[in-house]
Amino acid sequence: MNRHWVQLPERGNVAALRLIHWIALHIGRPAGRSLLYPITLYFLLTATAARRGSQLYLRRALDRQPRLRDVFRHIHCFAATILDRVYFLSGRLDRFEVRLFNDQLILDQAASGQGCILLGSHLGSFEALRALGVTIQHFPIRILMNTTHNQGMTRYLSELNPALAATVIPISGGPDTLLKVQESVAQGFMVGALGDRVVPGEKTVQCRFFGQDTPFPASPLLVAALTGCPVILFFGLYRGGNRYDAHFELLADRIDLDRRRRQEQLGEWAQRYADRLEHYARLAPYNWFNFYDYWEDDAP
Amino acid sequence: MEALSPFELEVARLLVETLHLEDFRPEDIQPEEPLFGEGLGLDSIDALELALAISKAYGVQLRSEDKENRRVFASLRALSEYIAQQRIR
Repeated sequence: MNRHWVQLPERGNVAALRLIHWIALHIGRPAGRSLLYPITLYFLLTATAARRGSQLYLRRALDRQPRLRDVFRHIHCFAATILDRVYFLSGRLDRFEVRLFNDQLILDQAASGQGCILLGSHLGSFEALRALGVTIQHFPIRILMNTTHNQGMTRYLSELNPALAATVIPISGGPDTLLKVQESVAQGFMVGALGDRVVPGEKTVQCRFFGQDTPFPASPLLVAALTGCPVILFFGLYRGGNRYDAHFELLADRIDLDRRRRQEQLGEWAQRYADRLEHYARLAPYNWFNFYDYWEDDAP
Repeated sequence: MEALSPFELEVARLLVETLHLEDFRPEDIQPEEPLFGEGLGLDSIDALELALAISKAYGVQLRSEDKENRRVFASLRALSEYIAQQRIR
C-alpha cells in the first residue's frame, strides 16, 4: 500500500511551505524562485519514492530513459507551481501571463446558468484555474477535494483564501459527498473534480493510458450521467517563467447510460478523458504531478 | 433469519431494482445489515442513485447537509423507517 498516493506526504512540509510563501509574498517571486533550486535538489536527493514515480512516468511521456536532469526538471516544475499557488490564492494574478484556449466554452456554460462537471487532473496547476474562475470571473464553482489526507496543509491554504476554501466539497467517503455534488449541479454550480486518481474502494473503469490498462475513477462520469449535466475538461499547464496555458474542452453535453451496457459506455467516456489527458501530458510532460508509482510497475 | 415488514420489502425491491444487485433477492436482505462497506457493500455512487430513486418514488429528499444521513443509510430498517416518516407520496 506504500505505493498509493494517499500515504504520500506529497505536498511536503507545511512549515517549509509557509517559509517559501512568506519569502514569495514579502521579498518577491524572483527570490522565491531562486530558492526552488536548492529545494528541488533536496527533494531529488531525499524523496526516493517521488523520484522513482517521476522516472516511471517520464519513461513513458518522453519515450526514452529519463536522466536525472529530467527528474530534476520535473520536480522543479512542480515546486514552481506550488510557489505560484500563493499568488493565485491571494489574488495576485497580474504578474502572470495566462493564455486561454477555447475559454468561450466555459463562458457560455457559465452564462447558461446550468450546472456542470469540470473534470481536471493532477496535470498542471488546477489552483491557477480555480483562482481565475472564482476570483476574476466569479463563476459559481465548487471543488471536490480530499481534505483528510493532509489536514495541516488544508488548514494553511484555507487561511490564505477563506472564500476559496468555502467552495470545497470534502470527500468524506460517506453517502453525503456525491449527494452534495448532485445538489450543487442542480443548483447551477460548476463542480470541479480531478479524474486521474483512484480512491481505494471506489468504482473504477479500465482505460488505455500510455499504452497500458489503467484504472480511472468512475464517479465523476457517473454523477454527470445521473444529473444529466455536461462534462467540461480543463487543463492548466505551467509553461515556464510566468506563463500558464488554460485549455477547455467539451467531453460530453450529457452522458446517457444504458443499464445493460453501463460499464462499457462508461469505459468509452473515460477513455476519451484518458486520451486527452495523455495528449496534454505529452504536450507538457513535466506538469504531471502524480509523484508515485502510477501504473504499479513495482507492484509484486 | 428475520422476516421483512411489507414496507421494508418494498424498499428492498426498490434498492435491488435501482442498483441492479443481481446477486440479491429483496427478501434475502437482512434488515439490520449495514448497506455500505461490509454487508451489501454499497458505495457513495450507489447512495446517490438510491437517494434519487427514493426522491422519485416517495418524494423524500435526502440532503447532503443532513447529519442524519449516515444513520439513515445504516441499514434497510433505518432507511425504511426514515422514508415512512418523511414520505409525501
